[in-house]
Amino acid sequence: MEEKKAQILEKLQKVFPEISETKNDFPYNRVDLRIEKNKIPAILFYLKDEMGYKHLVHITCVDWLEEGKFEVIFIVWSPVDKIKVFVKTFLDRNNPVMDNVDMIWRQANTYERELREMFGIQFEGLVAPKEFILEDWDDMPPMRRDFDTEAYARKRFFARPGREDARDVRQTIAERTGEEIPDFAKKYSR
Amino acid sequence: MAREKVTTLYLGPQHPGITGNMMVRLKVKGDTIVGARTEVGYLHRGFEKLQERRNWLQAFTILCRFCVPEPDPVEEAYALAVELLEGREVPERAKYIRVLVLEMARIASYLLWYGGQSGSAGLYTMGQWSVGDRNYILDLFEDLTGGRVYHMFIWPGGVRRDLPKGFKDKAMKVMDYLEKRLDDYDTLLFENSIFQKRAKGVGIIDKNKAIEWGVVGPPLRGCGIKSDIRIDDPYEIYGELYEKGVFEVHPYEGGDVWARALVRRFEIRQSIKIIRYVLDNIPSGDFYNKIPNPHKWTLPKGDAYSRVEATRGEIGFFVASDGSNKPRRTHMRGAAYVHAITLLENILIGENVADVSFIMNSLGTCPPEIER
Amino acid sequence: MINDKNSQKIVDIIQNFARKHSLFVLAYGTGCGAIEIPPTMTSRYDAERFGIRGAATPRQADVLLITGYLTTKTVKRVIRVYEQMQDPKYVIGFGSCTINGGMYWDSYNTIKVLDRYLPVDIYINGCMPRPEAVIEGFIKLQKKIMEGRAEGAKHYKENLEWYRANQKKVLGPTTPHIQEYNW
Repeated sequence: MEEKKAQILEKLQKVFPEISETKNDFPYNRVDLRIEKNKIPAILFYLKDEMGYKHLVHITCVDWLEEGKFEVIFIVWSPVDKIKVFVKTFLDRNNPVMDNVDMIWRQANTYERELREMFGIQFEGLVAPKEFILEDWDDMPPMRRDFDTEAYARKRFFARPGREDARDVRQTIAERTGEEIPDFAKKYSR
Repeated sequence: MAREKVTTLYLGPQHPGITGNMMVRLKVKGDTIVGARTEVGYLHRGFEKLQERRNWLQAFTILCRFCVPEPDPVEEAYALAVELLEGREVPERAKYIRVLVLEMARIASYLLWYGGQSGSAGLYTMGQWSVGDRNYILDLFEDLTGGRVYHMFIWPGGVRRDLPKGFKDKAMKVMDYLEKRLDDYDTLLFENSIFQKRAKGVGIIDKNKAIEWGVVGPPLRGCGIKSDIRIDDPYEIYGELYEKGVFEVHPYEGGDVWARALVRRFEIRQSIKIIRYVLDNIPSGDFYNKIPNPHKWTLPKGDAYSRVEATRGEIGFFVASDGSNKPRRTHMRGAAYVHAITLLENILIGENVADVSFIMNSLGTCPPEIER
Repeated sequence: MINDKNSQKIVDIIQNFARKHSLFVLAYGTGCGAIEIPPTMTSRYDAERFGIRGAATPRQADVLLITGYLTTKTVKRVIRVYEQMQDPKYVIGFGSCTINGGMYWDSYNTIKVLDRYLPVDIYINGCMPRPEAVIEGFIKLQKKIMEGRAEGAKHYKENLEWYRANQKKVLGPTTPHIQEYNW
């Protein structure tokens, strides 16, 4: 399997010299590569049509708030090679725009709609209704790191009395009954 | 002949034929569907956001709510992803117990599917039988994990508890009973000409396009393609079990509801075989590789993706860590994410309105794993 | 027609007795609690012996079972469904998340306290409640009906403005106007 993984990377690097970073030392069937964002459709097309990576496993995004970047990750799988390839790219967090890939896999449309809604990533040429999961959303995209879900929930919804401060139940009970919390319990409470 | 008009028909979210809580907007011409759009989002709780606010072990407790009929594969996927990320070893006994739990969950989920699939064809007796028998599996779960529906049992590093005393005998008894009942189910459902006529040639998935369209699990095996994560990308002891011939994976040709039903009928028997083997051959030893204090338990920076074969297909879990004690990002891939949206929209065209919930059931649509 | 106070009482008793033994539950799986409804209805627990069974449409149903958390998108539909139901009608809150948010206490998309938006007659706690608990809850509801205390719908009608204000707060100004309460 190690040879196969090396071969895949070698072949891809020959066709796409723009591949900036590769990682191959996983103890299981996985290969990582990073490429700039405008090469994503090309490399996915190549993986699917030329190398047999027909199955789109996943599209996801990680918000690296401190570095000001979104990392979009495409995972593809070949039923023949039995290897997962992770294609990663960085987007600028202030201007997250990239090409859509739903002409390669129809189901990518769904993933992109979700990422558009949850992270605010704009996929150029994506044709789909604007709302997917949320309805009448009025705040920033909720899966971004700087969105505070607790504050939002407190602002928008009622809380049952006794639940609004989200404190440890053991403490409430201890105060009510006048007991001390044992040390071992204190250690694990918030 | 009267001119036929295209009408819009809303199926759901409140509709007895819809599995779970979602909506299908149909464009119908007479009784034939000419266009379909699914609308989801009625069950979105923002789990992935909530997990970012909890530490690695706390994040595990809300996992089983991702998919209600069969929560264990999701727990397994998360545990696998965390173990891949950290490189944590799992004791051999824990692997066996995990397989036992996963297969029990598979049986429970298939029994619920029997009820749903036959109920959507109007055969309600089947549902009474199979959902009633499912309680025996849930009883076993209760014995083993303490929970009936949500188990929170498979966690990173192993499983939460060892097998209780006398579990093997009880489980064997249930398996013997179920095996007998499965023959009854065949008489009631698969030999029933109403079901055969409803199921054959309905909801056909094109074999050549299946992998490209993201079809996984029983629908893919129903297209005649031998594909199963348990043998393609083996986890736990499944690779070993397959080599030993404990279970088989058998594709059926056709790509219609009937073929998918046959796949499930076959697999429920395989699960019983696996459970028998696991109970007979379980090694002794630790069942849990202890994790450190969960509030101080940090995972190395990086990401991991794990895949598990559930009854609806491939379930995957993506976790990314920034080196702290909380996940940076978690993202689940459910099989229904593809099946219930793009695939369903494609294969519904040309079918009858009455077959919509029948086809949805055969694809194993599960809205909570679409929206999370 | 019946002016006599005692006669009215007897009629009420007969009426409540009849209502109590035919609770038609709306088959609307609003949350994950819907998974425990099939076991409750089928052979082992067999809720039908108490007169509890499913109804397909809101207009024929008596009980709206809120099976778990309600997201803001669902709550809109649930309110609509509730208002389509005809008297007598009852609401059962099912699961911890309808009571105080449960494990979703900090989620941005689920409501936390159900009785601010809909009049709840009975809460069943637990995550998930077992079928026994569900049946127990239904029996409590039957008892309440028999005693004539299950007056959620009446309360809703009387305090409609308060409920509307609460609903508007969560549904937002952009939501389409909810149909008026007009029967």
